[in-house]
Amino acid sequence: MVFQMQPYGIQAMLKEGHKHLSGLDEAVLRNIDACKQLSVITRTSLGPNGMNKMVINHLDKLFVTNDAATIVNELEVQHPAAKILVLAGKAQQEEIGDGANLTISFAGELLQNAEELIRMGLHPSEIISGYTKAISKTIEILDELVEKGSESMDVCNEDEVVSRMKSAVASKQFGLEDMLCPLIADACIQVCPKNPANFNVDNVRVVKLVGGGLHNCTVVRGMVLKNDAVGSIKKVEKAKIAVFAGGVDTSATETKGTVLIQSAEQLENYSKTEEAKVEELIKAVADSGAKVVVSGGAVGEMALHFCERYKLMVLKISSKFELRRFCRTTGAVAILKLSQPNPDDLGYADSILTEEIGGVQVTIVKNEGGNSVSTVVLRGSTESILDDLERAVDDGVNTYKAMCRDSRILPGAAATEIELARRLKEFSFKETGLDQYAIAKFAESFEMVPKILSENAGLNAMEIISSLYAEHAAGNTKVGIDLEEGVCKDVSALSIWDLYVTKFFALKYAADAACTVLRVDQVIIMAKPAGGPKRDQPAGMDED
Amino acid sequence: MSLRVLNPNAEVLNKSAALHMNINAAKGLQDVLKTNLGPKGTIKMLVGGAGDIKLTKDGNTLLKEMQIQNPTAIMIARTAVAQDDTSGDGTTSTVLFIGELMKQSERYIDEGMHPRVLVDGFEIAKRATLEFIEKFKTPVVMGETPDKEILKMVARTTLRTKLYEALADQLTDIVVNAVLCIRKPDDPIDLFMVEIMHMRHKFDVDTHLVEGLVLDHGSRHPDMKRRAENCYILTCNASLEYEKSEINAGFFYSNAEQREKMVAAERRQVDERVKKIIELKEKVCSSSDSNFVVINQKGIDPPSLDLLARTGIIALRRAKRRNMERLVLACGGEAVNSFDNLTPDCLGWAGLVYEHVLGEEKYTFVENVKNPHSCTILIKGPNDHTIAQIKDAVRDGLRSVKNTLDDEAVILGAGAFEVAARQHLVNNVKKSVQGRAQVGVEAFADALLVIPKTLAENSGLDTQDVIISLTTEHDRGNIVGLNHHTGEPIDPQMEGIFDNYSVKRQIINSGPVIASQLLLVDEVIRAGRNMRKPS
Repeated sequence: MVFQMQPYGIQAMLKEGHKHLSGLDEAVLRNIDACKQLSVITRTSLGPNGMNKMVINHLDKLFVTNDAATIVNELEVQHPAAKILVLAGKAQQEEIGDGANLTISFAGELLQNAEELIRMGLHPSEIISGYTKAISKTIEILDELVEKGSESMDVCNEDEVVSRMKSAVASKQFGLEDMLCPLIADACIQVCPKNPANFNVDNVRVVKLVGGGLHNCTVVRGMVLKNDAVGSIKKVEKAKIAVFAGGVDTSATETKGTVLIQSAEQLENYSKTEEAKVEELIKAVADSGAKVVVSGGAVGEMALHFCERYKLMVLKISSKFELRRFCRTTGAVAILKLSQPNPDDLGYADSILTEEIGGVQVTIVKNEGGNSVSTVVLRGSTESILDDLERAVDDGVNTYKAMCRDSRILPGAAATEIELARRLKEFSFKETGLDQYAIAKFAESFEMVPKILSENAGLNAMEIISSLYAEHAAGNTKVGIDLEEGVCKDVSALSIWDLYVTKFFALKYAADAACTVLRVDQVIIMAKPAGGPKRDQPAGMDED
Repeated sequence: MSLRVLNPNAEVLNKSAALHMNINAAKGLQDVLKTNLGPKGTIKMLVGGAGDIKLTKDGNTLLKEMQIQNPTAIMIARTAVAQDDTSGDGTTSTVLFIGELMKQSERYIDEGMHPRVLVDGFEIAKRATLEFIEKFKTPVVMGETPDKEILKMVARTTLRTKLYEALADQLTDIVVNAVLCIRKPDDPIDLFMVEIMHMRHKFDVDTHLVEGLVLDHGSRHPDMKRRAENCYILTCNASLEYEKSEINAGFFYSNAEQREKMVAAERRQVDERVKKIIELKEKVCSSSDSNFVVINQKGIDPPSLDLLARTGIIALRRAKRRNMERLVLACGGEAVNSFDNLTPDCLGWAGLVYEHVLGEEKYTFVENVKNPHSCTILIKGPNDHTIAQIKDAVRDGLRSVKNTLDDEAVILGAGAFEVAARQHLVNNVKKSVQGRAQVGVEAFADALLVIPKTLAENSGLDTQDVIISLTTEHDRGNIVGLNHHTGEPIDPQMEGIFDNYSVKRQIINSGPVIASQLLLVDEVIRAGRNMRKPS
């Protein structure tokens, strides 16, 4: 008599092994708790003095970083509500490429404050309506706080770029920003197209070479390939380049071919015609003026031989994307089959040479006149340091992209947050109805930023916050924390600026995520699906 | 028991036990879905076995995603899913209505009433309600140019129950315009002609309607233009790549020259086809400011792409089959299956074709088309669950607009219909019924009230207060619905709250049928081997 004993309600209805959580205590508060836990993890990494995390992922790969996007990505968060926060962080990372930590930490703080409100007796729907009002007000205030005169900027001016990029890079590599920023800015400016809005992050490459130190980092106008030249010619200058996407070898039919040989004479002749054919082709290439041949596929022995004979440098780039970038760098058009290239199809580089750096043979393709691809060569003692440096560079490049789209800036170092908190609190007093408490809490949540910044720097958070409030109430709206000296200072003197778009998206995603978590009042966790172990993702289509 | 003699392993529930199991299951399912109803309903978070998140308020999604095992609940869930299939909305209402019918019946059965009598009453009440709905509906005329306002009101009513208000209002316009765009007089509306495309990008309020098409892939050649204006569009379904012969063929050659010739011969056929396209391009694009786009359902191999790129043609390969149909509707022209006899008449036209790259994904927009009969709703959202939620809502919204166009009628919403139908049943129909079937009619009438009751409950109002104020107001001769903000009666017509006629009809039709079936069960037998548990 199995089903006679079945309980009443949803439990009776679902497959065994499911979980069903509903109501304030079971669903809402538990979800909030999980999100709090997540933000507790990330918040200690916020800001320039943020701590690094050591994360070992399921592939036993070691990450030492304070980049929140990487941390939460590798944590493989399981809890559904916390996952919403992670998704918000990821969205921020995809949209701007920076500020993921602010998103997650702020959303966590919002939820923590929501919990207090719930315990006070507010209904989540009132909190949501308050938070929604608060975020739209925040955006309004944020617009007003934009530094005057920052709407337009010269994206090719290194100083202006560095000042905007500094805080983003400093939060990843504190102390190194003065060295890294000019490098990144230089690389970005080199490839900035006429219309800055079309800036492509992909055009700034990063090459990591173990060994040396940060001082050895350089920017190369052009590309750095991590492999050696194929032939014996290792260096050319002011060379024209022919790019063959399909490989440098004898042509072959799609259908299987068989050489029909009836006599010894034919055998001899066959290899002769073969040789003659290849020579003819290579000669045609050499005649066109090209000094360098780049192959996207295999380079045949015989073809190589003739290339050597005609003094052609041969490079092999097997990645399709890399080949495409190479074409962009040199202005070459990839030719599919080995044939005589048109003069228009040839590319040009000032110099191509192979060099040994830190035990790795690299090929450096320089093109002083070109502005399509630039490469930041990073040097460091270990892989993980290099990885972390790369993330800092990525953040910097993404910030550049963001400022190309919208160059408006806000005071950094928590000055904006305190001002937002102050003004939002004033706004909440004007509201009637229960959502004013939610708005006030939203305002309070902004204090999280200065609090964490000063805590991470080992300062007394309460003291700092109160003196910040005092300064702001006195009308000094640009006062933030000087973390090195541990005092409050005008950030325009320190020149710490944040990009408006980064803040805008981070706050909006955070508020969205918090509201989404609050809106849920029931969680139904399904039983694990039947079937064997999880299959691997099917191999993708031919992605180009 | 007799069954035991026949099969000692069989399980059996009889008489009241069977009935109560059914009633409990119906009530249980009702409890689960209750909180979802109406604009103030709450969201449920479904976590799949693999840890994937789904947030939903849609009864249909919920029933589909939940792994329901109870046999009675499955029956009810199927009815509800059928409701969605026929009308696209009203799943939650169906489940609630069935649950409430069972609940009302339970009262009478406990007092000794036979289920058969109740079922008879249901049947009478159902017929009377269906007659009543014909009188109650508000007819709308859908001529050449339908009344947009009515359509918007219907769409808004549906969407607000699935999404939060601001987003729902924005989608309302999108949905209505999309349906009107694909509507052709005299032809039935095919909602598949609205492409729903999503991009994980920006915010949910950035969702918009594209008059034209969005394809989720880009051109495959680095030298093709990323943006082109004044484009002729060739839609085709013919291969542009070398295809191996079916039979096992081989080449024999004895020197390199011969081989070169073979290689050239192999390519010739494909090259011929490409040349035909290029010829056509040369013919139509005589001036320099027009462009040519080829969208092929089959493949285009790199040498052909290269040839096309060199003449400035943008080529997209492996387009989705369903998009081929939509492309023709959006841009005009016709889809060709071979490259022989190409004429300029085969070509469509679009004012703007451009590629949008989002991380790894590429999208191609075909926009500014003349007189489109197909369009794309481009859903944006920061994460997958937001997108999924909007997608479900958009589908329901589209259906509701289509239903209105098909029905040429709407029903006042906000619980107004339910209150009116109940009063009609109690005041008029019940009196005309002879004997005990009256009880069935009464149970049916009370069950209808579950909709306004639940609406009130979800808004945090007192259900009894609301029902009493609604019925009193109704008896004064006004048709009223519930204002879920205040709990006061309102006129749904003034507020623009309209439901689909076909949705309501389907609920009234299917609800009592399944309830009657469940009530008439007097024995539940589980025989055969239980696969799950070892005995």
